[in-house]
Amino acid sequence: MVECQPSKLIIWVRLPVGAYLKNKMEQERKKLKNRIAEFHDKHYKVLLLIPLSLIIFSIIYLSIFYSNNNDFIYKDISLTGGTSVTINGEIDANKLKQDLSNKLDDVNTRQVYDLITKEKKAVILETKTSGETTKNVLEEYLGYELTNENSSFEFTGAALSESFYKQLIIAIIFAFVFMAIVIFIIFRTFVPSSAVIISAFADMLMTLVLVDILGIKMSSAGIVAFLMLIGYSVDTDILLTNRLLKRQEGHLNEKIYSAFKTGITMTLTSLVAVFFSLLIVRSFSIILTQIFTIIAIGLFFDIFNTWLTNVSLLKWYIISKGESK
Amino acid sequence: MKFGWKIWLLIIVILFSLLSIFGMPPTFLQKGVLITSVELNSTAFDQGLRQGQIITEIDNQKINSIEDFSGILKSKFISGEKIKTVIKTLDSEIILYDNEVPEITVSDISKTNLKMGLDLAGGSRALVKAQDIELTSADTMDLAEIIENRLNVYGITDVKVLPVSDLSGNNYIRIEIAGATPKDLKKLIGEQGKFEAKIGNETVFVGGKDKGITSVARSGQDAGIESCQPASDRSYFCNFRFAVYLSEEAAKRQAEITSNLDVNNTPQGNYLSKKLDFYLDDKFLEDKSLLISEGLKGRVTTQISIEGSASGETREEAYKAAEQEMKDLQTILITGSLPYKLEIVKLDTISPTLGKDFIKYILIAGIVAIAAVSIIIFIKYRKFNSSIILIITVFSEIIIILGVAALIEWNLDLLSIAGIIATVGTGIDQQIIILDEAKHFTSLSLKQKLKRAFVTILGAYFTSLVSLLPLIWAGAGLFKGFAITTIIGITAGILITRPAFTDMVKLIEDK
Repeated sequence: MVECQPSKLIIWVRLPVGAYLKNKMEQERKKLKNRIAEFHDKHYKVLLLIPLSLIIFSIIYLSIFYSNNNDFIYKDISLTGGTSVTINGEIDANKLKQDLSNKLDDVNTRQVYDLITKEKKAVILETKTSGETTKNVLEEYLGYELTNENSSFEFTGAALSESFYKQLIIAIIFAFVFMAIVIFIIFRTFVPSSAVIISAFADMLMTLVLVDILGIKMSSAGIVAFLMLIGYSVDTDILLTNRLLKRQEGHLNEKIYSAFKTGITMTLTSLVAVFFSLLIVRSFSIILTQIFTIIAIGLFFDIFNTWLTNVSLLKWYIISKGESK
Repeated sequence: MKFGWKIWLLIIVILFSLLSIFGMPPTFLQKGVLITSVELNSTAFDQGLRQGQIITEIDNQKINSIEDFSGILKSKFISGEKIKTVIKTLDSEIILYDNEVPEITVSDISKTNLKMGLDLAGGSRALVKAQDIELTSADTMDLAEIIENRLNVYGITDVKVLPVSDLSGNNYIRIEIAGATPKDLKKLIGEQGKFEAKIGNETVFVGGKDKGITSVARSGQDAGIESCQPASDRSYFCNFRFAVYLSEEAAKRQAEITSNLDVNNTPQGNYLSKKLDFYLDDKFLEDKSLLISEGLKGRVTTQISIEGSASGETREEAYKAAEQEMKDLQTILITGSLPYKLEIVKLDTISPTLGKDFIKYILIAGIVAIAAVSIIIFIKYRKFNSSIILIITVFSEIIIILGVAALIEWNLDLLSIAGIIATVGTGIDQQIIILDEAKHFTSLSLKQKLKRAFVTILGAYFTSLVSLLPLIWAGAGLFKGFAITTIIGITAGILITRPAFTDMVKLIEDK
């Protein structure tokens, strides 16, 4: 009975402190929220300068890139034509590259390893040389015949790759235009629709520049990833625009904040899912690795473009519309 | 807890999807091994073993795996003597007498009806194009038929040959062969092949322009089904006839060779003692040999007519069979004489070995990603229920996509899997929108809030849908897998899983 008393006492003392702290934290949070809202109200137009300068930088970078490389991306063999070989077995990727770099055109290798044991399982070799020649060179080097059991060959002719590339670009342009049309149909007002389209465009542009800066050689699947990005980047923008334009109740900043909470959860869950998938697919698939890398970069820029570019443009529009009334 | 009709709809669709994936009775319960190929002209082939049959027993011993199969057969034929083997398949029993292991290859029965694409299951794929000339789409159709026929002649039957065109208006032939890659695939599809027609040992004509056949009538008055009659045993048979035009030289050769032949008198008519035999790349096409009528003996003629017949249980079947037979013969005659060279613009041969690991890793990646997402959802909403219904919905979406894929026999390749991942990603995003709208503090009813969420989701759906459409036609259909799976997924999402999810949210929130 004696031991009971102090514990009762502690509970009795603790409760109000806890409640007090919670209350205080709540107040602090509200204060912070207000301060951010105040800051945003004052500077949201200035904030637009950040994405604007990044867009300008991206365009300049891409023009320089284009004049140097005659294209907007570094292309891998699925877009330039060439052969990709996967040879099963414990072959060292780096050594293979060193030994064959003077026999095959533009060689790149990559190790495929077991996810858990980290054992070498296969090696992927990419070269611009044709399938037949590559096979002969490899067989001579390895000293055994490459069959369907121990290897995979993927050969794409240069003309076909070129035509694939052109078509994928056309597909992306069409996809973007279609998306823009749908956005205009949904919102039916010029500025908000344009804001969504501009942020989607900025998103793709910045992703493209970062992909180039990182020196990633883009494959046809990588271009498909850009297409996926259109879908991913507009849905947070649609959410934001819907919440701000179609909702009557609440102050503008509150609406932005609630949209932000939902939107950032969406993007973060996607980013986390992509990040964990990336850890796994890295070990075996070049195609999926590239798709996920590009989506991860795109999602990152999407946070930036939705919550800086699109929010500021939309806020500007709503406030100036309110003033003119 | 009372379920609304939207949840019931989801449950029904999931049940159907599972049925479509696993079949009825479920394929994973089926014991035995699947025959993947049978060597042509082998004893096994002659006795009726065919690709696609399922072997359940050999010599009264149950076969459950490839190991069982090879174990039993290997030990049997050591002596080299002719012995009896009883092979039981699902629907028949076949008895072989032979001194060597039956020339068949088998694989385990797949556990689902899902078909994996080449990059996962292994196989070969080629894109072929005519060199230096533009083919019309009719020409391309012909070419596809010719290639398919040629592959069939070589015993490769699990093959898909289809003409494809792309956004730039190029016409290609896409050839896909599942499983092991035939050794001379490149030769089979890329080269023009050597076609010969012989009487006895002497060559009458060989395929190729200016070498023998100048043209083959394929339609019009010089080609078609002549007549159909009932046969004595209640079945029907139909006769076909088409004209083949020979060069002068070939016609002369034909006359020379036939002039020395005897004439056989048969009830069907008078024919020469030797037949006209066809060879493709020195391979004798056994069932395509033609009788030569008496009238052609020693006669120089550049137009010969080829007649034949086929039978069927009904008049219609017989007609169709005759048509097919005629088409086959025509194709063989043209095969060797393509007026243009073919160019292989893409050739992929994928080893099946790594594919299995691929699938395993993809599953791991999927589970890890979904687990990570549900942890975030749990942290954010502090509600176990929200995480649970989110995961249920995600999995049901995947099941529905796979169900539809099994139903339309879609080949799931790596890009299709990327499509499924994209769908799951957008699905989760949209569910978060629904959860947040439902939680939003306003005077609105839950129903109104959910309606609001749907406006946003519909917008997102349509933008995704239209941005995927161009991809269906780009790149000779190689990216179609991604576009189709994603479209299936997001459409199932908007029609079935999202409405059901809102109902689930109602169940949770009303509690």
